[in-house]
Amino acid sequence: MHFAYPPRKTSNPPPFLPRSSKLPTLRRSRLKIIAIVGLVFIFLVYLISRPRSGHGRFEQHKPSGKPPVVVVTVLDESKYSKEYINAVKDNRIQYAQKHGYQTFFPKVGDYDLKSAPPSWTGVVAMRHALTKFPDCTYVWYLEQNSYIMNPQLKIEEHVMKSSRLEQLMIKDHPVVPPDSIIKTFSHLKGQDVDFVLTQDREGLSSGSFILRNGEWAKFFLETWFDPLYRSYNFQKAETHALEHIVQWHPTILARLALIDQRIINAYSKGTKGAEYKAGDIVVRFVDCLATSPKACETESQKFSQQWRTSFKNS
Amino acid sequence: MSLSRSPSPVPGGGWSSPGLNISTSGRSSPTRGYSASGTPVMWESARLKTGYPSFSTQRNNGFFSRHMRNISSSLPRFSSSLPHAEKEKEKEKEKEQLSRGRWSVRSVPLLGRLRGIMGRMGKKMKIRLLILLMLLLSIIIFYTTPLVYHWRRTSWLGGGQKFVIILAANVGGGVTEWKGAREWAIERDSVRNKKKYVARWGYELEIVDMSMKKRYAHEWRESWEKVDFIRTSLRKYPKAEWIWWLDLNTFIMEPSYSLQDHIFNKLENHVYRDINEYNPLNISHPLTEPHLDAVSQSPVGDGNANSVNLILPQDCSGFNLGSFFVRRSPWTDRLLDVWWDPVAYEQKHMEWEHKEQDALEQLYISQPWIRKHTAFLPQRMINSFPPGACSENGNDTRIHYDQRDRDFLVNMAGCEWGRDCWGEMYNYRELSYYLNRSLWERFKEDLIALIWFKITGRKVKL
Repeated sequence: MHFAYPPRKTSNPPPFLPRSSKLPTLRRSRLKIIAIVGLVFIFLVYLISRPRSGHGRFEQHKPSGKPPVVVVTVLDESKYSKEYINAVKDNRIQYAQKHGYQTFFPKVGDYDLKSAPPSWTGVVAMRHALTKFPDCTYVWYLEQNSYIMNPQLKIEEHVMKSSRLEQLMIKDHPVVPPDSIIKTFSHLKGQDVDFVLTQDREGLSSGSFILRNGEWAKFFLETWFDPLYRSYNFQKAETHALEHIVQWHPTILARLALIDQRIINAYSKGTKGAEYKAGDIVVRFVDCLATSPKACETESQKFSQQWRTSFKNS
Repeated sequence: MSLSRSPSPVPGGGWSSPGLNISTSGRSSPTRGYSASGTPVMWESARLKTGYPSFSTQRNNGFFSRHMRNISSSLPRFSSSLPHAEKEKEKEKEKEQLSRGRWSVRSVPLLGRLRGIMGRMGKKMKIRLLILLMLLLSIIIFYTTPLVYHWRRTSWLGGGQKFVIILAANVGGGVTEWKGAREWAIERDSVRNKKKYVARWGYELEIVDMSMKKRYAHEWRESWEKVDFIRTSLRKYPKAEWIWWLDLNTFIMEPSYSLQDHIFNKLENHVYRDINEYNPLNISHPLTEPHLDAVSQSPVGDGNANSVNLILPQDCSGFNLGSFFVRRSPWTDRLLDVWWDPVAYEQKHMEWEHKEQDALEQLYISQPWIRKHTAFLPQRMINSFPPGACSENGNDTRIHYDQRDRDFLVNMAGCEWGRDCWGEMYNYRELSYYLNRSLWERFKEDLIALIWFKITGRKVKL
């Protein structure tokens, strides 16, 4: 074939020039920018992925709140009658069942105290409770010679709710009455409190106190249980050891809230501290301890009918 | 005045005579001619070649805007033939126009000239030049600016600010013993050593005064002040995460090791938490009391490096607090709080020769919460001993310094009891310099001096 003229151009040319390369972004002029962005990206990846000298924070176990409260009572079966012990147990169990709590009843002699007075058992028992119930929120230590009188009150609302606690806290008050120069903190927030206890007329009372489960509680109980405190012959054993650590160690004082005695620790008679009035959560028999176990049992008779009826009615 | 070389003409007119610069103006040649006649021709040509700087906002769109300037600039210009006064006036006008709009090239003739050179240069040459420039730049960055220091310091880059070294200086303060020239020399060397190390890696250094003061009526508590100093340092350096306590009689032998590389980047590989691995005190471990939880009963705590808050070395007689680390944490606050307790002190102070060290051992033995967060480092990682310390059983590879392994730090522990502190310090200082010589020094001393010795039989110091 032969044409006189070269073939005509197509009569409908494409509206645009064909691409020079497949990817429009890879044009030569942009290559520089892409290279720079790539370098910056690699640098960022390096920054993020390189070994970090400061490693992560230590995450302590967060209790899920099942059960919310564990009631701990150390029973002394060698000195007290079976009926009395059973009544005490029954009292705690009924209270716990009502609110979905748990109870824990270790016995005197369960733990090796290394020749320290048996009253120290309460401190280890609390530590043991934290081990047995790692997911509880609060642990309430209630001494054996006492009855829970008002089953309506829940620990986490009656005492430990932070707004309630902020009202209850006794601020800027000598930790050990009457004239310790160490005073409770005046700017403590409710959620920072891990340890709630009361004072009676003689000093701190370790017969009824509440601990919030956590690393701090373990630290506190283990420090309290230190063998050097146990061997020191404090006149009132663990109570005086408590008064000692609370006054000497600010990390403990900073987590402590003193509250009015009748909130968790009313006494059956007003000689040593605040006297029980109807509606208080707890009554403790303290005066009888000096005389004999038998005296405590008779003292408890006055209240045993009372708590049973109030539990039935509620 | 004689000249060092004969005067030579300068392109712009006038003379350059380098030896002769004593004239009051500081110049040797009339430079006024430069601005009047010399340069305009020169920079005009440069402008012709390259146009305006590439970062001007003008875009080469459309035909006219692309070629207009080339066309117009190739047209004959008559400015040079104008009489002098008018030329000056025009120049003023032009300047005004330029300064209003674009960046004036006229004010930087050097840049224009450079652009000319760059334009004529080939691609290969450009790349070579770029490489040279990069090399120069990196030399400047790494050797003359504090950029590296700041990089290493910044907490999210090098992380140097996370480490604070506390150096216990002025031990005793000259109360019980006379502080002589040797003591001052030890102090000077030790402090200088730490200062250099800290400057290299961007850490913080806190030199504390351990002088003896009577704090209470009946006792000297100088070594208990460790606790207070750690506490104040934690307050003073809010970014600090780890505190490294160092006694005065220590020497960092290998300043090229950073703490991050040496220990903390792979903490879990370096520390051991089960004390049975090396247990000179025969502490029974782990705890077995039934009232404790699984983590407290475990020999390694929770086994996670995040829970390590105290890192100690152990020597032949137990814990050694001459060189140890504590981490900022609530746990550390509690430890520092509980460490000194009057009841424990009253019962034990007669037995506790090493005061705070024995108290810590006591706490470790009796308190499960302490064990959970304590880890041990093999002693030679941070606390090698000279042959004189712990020497009852001869040399122990776990304890004593070995220069072949390039141990990090030497602690001349106990040198004040009958050994020569200054002598040891001096020896280890010289050894450290010797081991860390630069390539040039090695070349001089190991090769040239040796050859010279072989040839002449004489030792030389180069």
